[in-house]
Amino acid sequence: MSRSFVTLKPGLQTCVQELPGRIGFLEQGFPLSGPFDSWSFRQANLLVGNDRDAAALECQFVGPTLKLDADCLVAVTGGDMRPTLDGSPIPMWTTVAAAAGQELALGAAMTGARAYIAISGGIATEPVLGSRAVFHQAGVGGRALVPGKVTPLGDATADRTVWTIPEESRPEFSRDKTWVVEALAGPNDDWLSPDTVQTFFSSDWRVQAKSSRTGIRLTGPEFAFSERATNKNADHGQDPSNIIDHGYPMGAVNLAGQTPIILVNDAPSTGGFINPFTVASAAFWKLAQAKPGEVLRFRRVDRDEAGVLRAALDMLTRPEVLQRA
Amino acid sequence: MAIHKAESPLPGLLYHKPEPDAQPFKAPGDAVALGDTLALIEVMKSFMPLEAETAGTFKGYLIDDGEHIDAGDHFCEIEG
Repeated sequence: MSRSFVTLKPGLQTCVQELPGRIGFLEQGFPLSGPFDSWSFRQANLLVGNDRDAAALECQFVGPTLKLDADCLVAVTGGDMRPTLDGSPIPMWTTVAAAAGQELALGAAMTGARAYIAISGGIATEPVLGSRAVFHQAGVGGRALVPGKVTPLGDATADRTVWTIPEESRPEFSRDKTWVVEALAGPNDDWLSPDTVQTFFSSDWRVQAKSSRTGIRLTGPEFAFSERATNKNADHGQDPSNIIDHGYPMGAVNLAGQTPIILVNDAPSTGGFINPFTVASAAFWKLAQAKPGEVLRFRRVDRDEAGVLRAALDMLTRPEVLQRA
Repeated sequence: MAIHKAESPLPGLLYHKPEPDAQPFKAPGDAVALGDTLALIEVMKSFMPLEAETAGTFKGYLIDDGEHIDAGDHFCEIEG
């Protein structure tokens, strides 16, 4: 019999995600998608014996209720959504053995914004353009869970080892509603006045409620532009923040008029606004976990430091971090 | 009669009305039935209805229309 789970309550845009995402179609406008907080996502997979990049669920703000149709291992990581199994609380960041017929329920996020549910065997939806990652808004690779939907699972090994992620290896969530986010200047920092570049790295930027997996919209000080932005060839467009259409890197702080929008997993791949700053990939998870109304402060790093941070995060999402519970 | 304070499970912007120029979902003195929409929360560019989990009489909103709300904040009172 094939393994699966049924969605009883969907939560808020709960989607299947997978790494590395939908690679190779940016020029046709397909974003990478994939988990927003890949640190928590990978640790969830490791806890249930999956490849760290296997397809699992991303829950946003309010988690789902699922009825498991097979014996399996489950792990919940990320923001604290107070998971229960048949009504009894279960620990997060720990392997939990579940039996066929049991109900896994997540509530609203108490800390952070996104939680991950990995199930042994991984989720076995049909890949679209090479990936199971869901781009919900366009319905690529499927959409968010809906009540009654049956989601197939892959075959799991017989291993039933119970693991935990020690606290020092987990992402540390903000306790004061402020997140320090590592970011690089560029590629278009020379379109801003030098003072504005300084201001960006020394100001508080509040996350707007209009933020999503497409972009994190920020409220903060005004931007002032350099000569390059204000006195340019008309082909670039009229607004100082306009530029001839170009590629957008993941994590770009995209400036549309006076609103900075950090482009994340489901963001457009090209467009005609400047990207004066870029968030280091090792800090993407913080963008996933910052809630509306919370504050981002950007810490300037260079490419070398961004690489060191990325390598450190990679080490934290390998099987070596698991400890026997 | 006990006063029940309804809690938002979500952080975002609270709206008392389905559209900017519509009437509020509830006015003080209105009857509230289980499942009635009390307000909308805007988060992730979507509007999620906040539904009544207790029946009774609507007493009023605790957070202004269009204001920021955190998960766990009380947003209205229902007497029932």
